[in-house]
Amino acid sequence: MLALDTLHGIRVVASPSALDAASWPDNTTVLRLAPDDVFVIGATIEHAAVIATADADAIIVAESGFVGCWLHNDALAEVATHIEWHIPTHRPAFAQGYVAGVPAKLWLTDDRALLLCASPYAHDLSERLKGSA
Amino acid sequence: MLWLNCPQCGSRPVEEFAFGGELPTVPDRITDPHERDIDYVWMFDNLEGVSTERWFHQAGCRRWHTVARDTIDDTLIT
Amino acid sequence: MNEFVETLLEMQWHEPKSSYDVVIIGGGGHGLATAYYLATKHGITNVAVIEANYIGSGNSGRNTTIIRANYGIPESVRFYQRSLELYAGLEDETGCWIMHATKGLLWMAHTETGMRAERARALINTACGAETHVVGPQEIKQICPQIDLTGSGRYPVLGASYHVGAATARHDRVVWAYAQGAMQRGVTVLQHTKVTGLLREGERVVGVETDRGPISAGVVMSAVGGNVTKIAAHAHVRLPVRTHALQAFVTNAYGLDFPGIISDSELSCYVSQTPRGQMLIGAEFEPQPSYSMQSTFNSLASCAKKISSCLPFLRELRVLRQWTGICDVSADFSPIMGFTGVDGFVISTGWGTWGFKGIPAGGQQMAELIATGTTPDLIAPFALDRFERDHSMADLGSAGTR
Repeated sequence: MLALDTLHGIRVVASPSALDAASWPDNTTVLRLAPDDVFVIGATIEHAAVIATADADAIIVAESGFVGCWLHNDALAEVATHIEWHIPTHRPAFAQGYVAGVPAKLWLTDDRALLLCASPYAHDLSERLKGSA
Repeated sequence: MLWLNCPQCGSRPVEEFAFGGELPTVPDRITDPHERDIDYVWMFDNLEGVSTERWFHQAGCRRWHTVARDTIDDTLIT
Repeated sequence: MNEFVETLLEMQWHEPKSSYDVVIIGGGGHGLATAYYLATKHGITNVAVIEANYIGSGNSGRNTTIIRANYGIPESVRFYQRSLELYAGLEDETGCWIMHATKGLLWMAHTETGMRAERARALINTACGAETHVVGPQEIKQICPQIDLTGSGRYPVLGASYHVGAATARHDRVVWAYAQGAMQRGVTVLQHTKVTGLLREGERVVGVETDRGPISAGVVMSAVGGNVTKIAAHAHVRLPVRTHALQAFVTNAYGLDFPGIISDSELSCYVSQTPRGQMLIGAEFEPQPSYSMQSTFNSLASCAKKISSCLPFLRELRVLRQWTGICDVSADFSPIMGFTGVDGFVISTGWGTWGFKGIPAGGQQMAELIATGTTPDLIAPFALDRFERDHSMADLGSAGTR
């Protein structure tokens, strides 16, 4: 059973150029959900101050609506059997789409991957991936 | 089966998307503004051939994008 | 020899004349029923039905043969109840066996919202003459012992509406009954004849252009399924219609009797048993418009998964055949019948995935409209101009599963 834990961070919706120019602390994970939308795990609202200056209309809020867990190689290979689409081969990489039919996201680094989904889907995702981790 | 290209996320099966309809067009021969409004709201070109449509990638980036699709064999053009 | 082939040989197939009082485009159930009622009820027999392929080759031969009237709005309940009653009398009227069987239909709900919809459906149906009751889980189990009320632990069944009069009939036989009845009275049916355009004098439609030459007509009716947008465009009529693919499949024979028809709008699937014992299963139409008749594995897999959650015995059966039809789905999920605003051109379309059950009433009412030149009360709410009048007949909840 996957142990999906709440991921705490911030969600910033802003102009793509403001997001491109932003820099984040080293201990954060930056997931670019869309050109104008980023989820930064481990960051706080203060870290986005520069974006608020660059884009006066930016929306910057604390985000705790995602759950996720880290997978190592074997578990990732098992999860990959539940994915129809092509998983990026370069690292690090971010990918989104159905995992076992549930909208989910993957943050792939050299030695492990973060599997995450919106919290309402947590139960479905872990049910469907029973035995994967 | 139909796969669509999301500019943000890449090629994904159609199940990940919501269909948002063809880009509405109103024939030039309809000139009355009220009739043009009715046509815009209700009528469809329902093309047999290449249709330009909006699709929403609900299982991925959750953004709208424009797709050209051939409705004769339900395949992606761009 | 196949009895249809025998009938085919006995029937009178004519060469096209240059002119008819009425030309009907589309030799499916609706076109042939309209011709039948023009001939039998109004004495109009100088009629041609033009079919691009063979009669019943389109959606009339591809549907899941369910006849029901349990719609969500009064106008639809009255219309489909008329159709249901005409179906019940069709064997006596035409002398053709259409394998009509009244079975009852359980429309299941899995949520409180779904139950509210079923309660409303039962009240509206009964008030408009179509008997429907709300039933609880125990009664469902009595009607259909095969149902897993827990929905395989995933989709528990809270209750259902039970539509007593729902029936099935063999779709090809319905097409042939109407064709035979119409042709015996002098109607011409032209198979393998393609309509390539409409003949016009000014704005008025005065006939059709076909690949066998032009045919003039006092009235042209479009009763096509799947290609109506192109036919109507010849008359500059714009339609609130999109063409979508709909898939269905049958399994091998199930050894036991399966009672009634099971439908489920929350899972969007429906099942009944054919006279041969096969389980006939259908789902919702594909979300994107398409003219492709390609069946897909994904559709089969998702439908099989949903329907077997409530009927686990289906997992033991095998899929024999899967097929696809292309359906003209209207913007409000109700049919479009009547005048088009263009003289000489009337239409029966927007039958989406709910057309088979509407054949007798649709044919009867369109025949009256053509014969009298006025719209009968029963189909007045379904006129094309309802959209510009802002009186759309939205009823997705009833059309969502067919």
